Amino acid sequence: MEFLEKLILGISDGGIYAMIALGYTMVYGIAKMLNFAHGDVIMVGGYSILIFFNTTGLGFAYEATGIRGTIFASLIALVVSVIVCTLLGIVIEKLAYKPLRGSSPLAVLITAIGVSMLLQSIAQLYRKGSNAVPIYQFKPTGIFDITMATVFTLGMSIVVMFSLTMFVKRSKTGRAMIAVSEDKGAAQLMGINVNNIIMITFAIGSALAALAGFCSLATGSSFVQPGYGSMPGIKAFTAAVIGGIGSIPGAMLGGILLGIIENLCMLNDTLANYKDAIEFSILIIVLLIKPAGLLGKKRREKV
Amino acid sequence: MKLRKILALVLTVVLCFGMVSVLASCGGTEEDVMVIGVSGPLTGDYSMYGKAVENAANLAIEEINAIEEKGGEGTLGFKFELVATDDEADYTKVQNNYTNMVSKGMLLSLGTVTTGAGMTYTSLAAKDNMFFLTPSATGDDIPGTAGNGFQMCFADSQQGVLAAEYLLENYADKKIGVYYKQGDAYSEGIYEQFMGKLRKENAQIADAVVVAPFTKDDASQAAHVSKLAGCEFIFMPIYYSDAAPFMVEANKGTQIPANAVFYGGDGFDGITSIPNFDINSIKQEITYLTHFTVNAEEGTPAYEFIKKYEAKYDETKEPVNQFGAAAYDCVYAIYAALKFAKANGAEISTDMDASDLCNILKGVLVNDEFEFRGITGEADGEDGRASISWESNGQVTKTPKQEIVKKAS
Amino acid sequence: MMKKVLSTFKSIKWKHYSVYLIIAVAVAILGYLSLSLDGKASRAFDTYRSLLGDMSIWIILAVSLSLVVGFLGELSLGHAGFMSVGAYLGAVITNVLIANLKIENTFVIIVVSVFVGGVSAAACGFIVGLPALRLKGDYLAIVTLAFGEIVRVIFKNANPNIFGGAGGLQLKNYFTIDRKYFFIIGFLFVILTIAVIQNTIRSKHGRAITAIRDNEIAAKATGINVTKYKLMGFVISAAFAGIAGVLMTLKDGTVLYSKFDYNYSIEILVIVVLGGMGINGSVIAAVFISLLNWKLTDMNGSLSDYKNLIYALILILLIIYRNAPALKGFREKYNFRTLWAMVFKPKHNPAKDKGDAVRWDVVPTKIEMNEVLSTDVVIDSTGDNSADIGERGGNK
Repeated sequence: MEFLEKLILGISDGGIYAMIALGYTMVYGIAKMLNFAHGDVIMVGGYSILIFFNTTGLGFAYEATGIRGTIFASLIALVVSVIVCTLLGIVIEKLAYKPLRGSSPLAVLITAIGVSMLLQSIAQLYRKGSNAVPIYQFKPTGIFDITMATVFTLGMSIVVMFSLTMFVKRSKTGRAMIAVSEDKGAAQLMGINVNNIIMITFAIGSALAALAGFCSLATGSSFVQPGYGSMPGIKAFTAAVIGGIGSIPGAMLGGILLGIIENLCMLNDTLANYKDAIEFSILIIVLLIKPAGLLGKKRREKV
Repeated sequence: MKLRKILALVLTVVLCFGMVSVLASCGGTEEDVMVIGVSGPLTGDYSMYGKAVENAANLAIEEINAIEEKGGEGTLGFKFELVATDDEADYTKVQNNYTNMVSKGMLLSLGTVTTGAGMTYTSLAAKDNMFFLTPSATGDDIPGTAGNGFQMCFADSQQGVLAAEYLLENYADKKIGVYYKQGDAYSEGIYEQFMGKLRKENAQIADAVVVAPFTKDDASQAAHVSKLAGCEFIFMPIYYSDAAPFMVEANKGTQIPANAVFYGGDGFDGITSIPNFDINSIKQEITYLTHFTVNAEEGTPAYEFIKKYEAKYDETKEPVNQFGAAAYDCVYAIYAALKFAKANGAEISTDMDASDLCNILKGVLVNDEFEFRGITGEADGEDGRASISWESNGQVTKTPKQEIVKKAS
Repeated sequence: MMKKVLSTFKSIKWKHYSVYLIIAVAVAILGYLSLSLDGKASRAFDTYRSLLGDMSIWIILAVSLSLVVGFLGELSLGHAGFMSVGAYLGAVITNVLIANLKIENTFVIIVVSVFVGGVSAAACGFIVGLPALRLKGDYLAIVTLAFGEIVRVIFKNANPNIFGGAGGLQLKNYFTIDRKYFFIIGFLFVILTIAVIQNTIRSKHGRAITAIRDNEIAAKATGINVTKYKLMGFVISAAFAGIAGVLMTLKDGTVLYSKFDYNYSIEILVIVVLGGMGINGSVIAAVFISLLNWKLTDMNGSLSDYKNLIYALILILLIIYRNAPALKGFREKYNFRTLWAMVFKPKHNPAKDKGDAVRWDVVPTKIEMNEVLSTDVVIDSTGDNSADIGERGGNK
């Protein structure tokens, strides 16, 4: 019974990881860069939900409006955070990464690290003096209890994965994305605006990060702090690599695998202590057996 | 050509200024002040602790300096000055801060604010025989074995033991749970002492205790709540920011009875000041063991301290807390000890050696005749102050307070 | 005779030894000051002692990482992991020496713990280097990151009687190296680190390593044993990271697993990248960053809240300035070198003009071959040699 419960929790957590991992994998596939600031976008999403509740007072509306009102308020908060993160993703791309396009990957990586530090230090300025800010309002007593939030997360991640796959496969923009990830130069010759495609990729990735942030706040700890996104970010990155970075179904598979493993580890106290070590060891083992990840494509290197 | 000359001139001037400033700092201050140093997190996640210590110590020093200004019977004849350095609770920054303070003329110190950074300080101070009286580093090993370190707060082992005593006195027949943070020195230290005391006193209770450890990255509160279902006394040796989400989660269902008690250590201080956390939405009783609370009764010395602090500092950014109160007591205890030493014939001046001063002070603090009455601890006299003394191992002896934040509703 | 001595003296490539010379002279002066001062002056000097101690550790870390990142061309995000292995095992062996064997001689403790820490970290470097044979680029980066996190979790949960557990490990008897001479020892190890890594790079092995960086397939085709040299790079780099860890433990008297997270690895990486991924550049950047950190801990008041923000902004702007393709012209016109030349060089000597290509602080990085080709690699036709010939000719 406990096993089943952990399995469900694992799939739900895995859905969250998968949504974050999608952001990593899409940006990597198209811009060929590790976006280290991706985890911090989740944190910004969390803060925007918090600030939204604080300024509008909607978080306290439960007494007056009841269940429907609260769910409605939560959904508005979700929309706000998605908009904020999407814009943030575009701004980061335009200001920090675009000037460096064509320079060494290491320079882009360090800039991403700089952006991550910048976002965290800005977050530290908000609510100075408190290291944790609760936004428990959006799981009010008795309604959004753990199973509800988990079900919501599960449903959300399925919808997101399905629609993203459809978008990439069927729509014009989606196919342009695939073309850019295959060969930037050739895509440009075919009349694809590469800059626009990269911008759209960042926007989608950041929006997914906001969704993931909302879900992880709903199911897990409802406290946001400046370092909130770094651990989920690293784990999701691991998930993306396990699945094969650059591959969209790979990110989904890797995320869900990681979520399940993490929650199954919780069944045993010793394993629970070492759960991070176990997850990262699995990454190394997978890479040793399949160097391009589970679903990654191995590219032959040409001289 | 012209630009070159200007640049050369500017560079020369800058270099000269650099040299002069280095030389000036080598010369040291000539003013007749005794420098007290403290290393704490002034920025970052734990800045509210470091800031409170810095502010309260400055407040106490200002008052003492006013007394010294007037002079008179029993005064020391010199003023004090606080040098506070920022370690962000990172132990690798402590040596830098320590030497920085030594360079600024530190003769005695308040050690570090946090336990995590404190171990390095203990090593350094033991080697130099530098006196320190820490307001808030609760680790058991913080005072060290060299006899130069003292604590104003209860050590972790003391907190765990005191909490177990409270439990055995009041809740011995109830179902007991413990919620603690794995990988956190503060939390594990108290937890182990608590369980040790229970085992020693009453093995039956110790076996029945339900333990729910959690880690930094593991935030699934629901699982912990179901693990602790039915417990009527839940001991939570963690910081309030970790405790609040658990309490909120526990109030969603009925697994934790409404008449239960959430009992914490001094890490609960500040639980009422979390933004948006409505303490009244929690049905259960919240109590913690401490030596100081911010809702002191009017007219007591503790109340006066709070008023003075709030008049001077921005309450919204740097709120008063027990860390500050302990620092306030620390400065006054040092002052009292210096006066006691002087009255007993010791030679005290601002240009003496830190090690000599340390030998004098550590003799005074463990001296039975020396009595300090401070604002922390449960008041035991007419003056509303608590009697505070020290063991030879550096731990403090005073009566703890049981602070009921809110009763069960 | 005299002439012969003079000519040998002249033929020594002083440029190669300038780093050692500068460090040796500076440390000799500062070390003499540190040991000879006493009383108030010694106390005033104290803050510089710990600054220099920190600096030596940063330099060892940065230089050792530059071997992997700059010369082997692999991205490592687990340098703090190697360091923690050295720090913990060095601490354990020190405790054994003090508690079980009753040896408290500082010299013995340094030699034994540095040896143990260095060797164990090197062993870890070997283990991490193994996947490096199959993986490259970002995949390898994530493996090194994973290694750092795994090590951290293990030290946290391992036997608390030996490794101290969650509270960290304290050296017995509060052992620390006296900071009066800690930095002298630290800089001895700095010189050792630079010497070993510099000589490795200038040797046959080093040319093989840089050949692998520039084009692995071509290197393989010329008969270079890629496996051997990649492992070699990782092992040497890890060994010195471990030594830095041991030194840090002996300096602080404590070691705590939480310090060695991936942020710390990134801090080291940032230094290496800011320095341009060469050895001299890493040294300069490490000196600069430790000065900055030292000054920042002293900073109080309202500005201190913004220090991380300012640091991050400087980092981003600096990288964009240094690397953005659009700013290439601007960069060549206004940089430290031209400003320096404006002040100290009376005549503009076109023969000494260097493009980005042969500057010590720009090492072309290779993670993907076409990336390198698209960056500022310019074949230097004017060269340094013509200038040398000209000068010598003048002397004769």
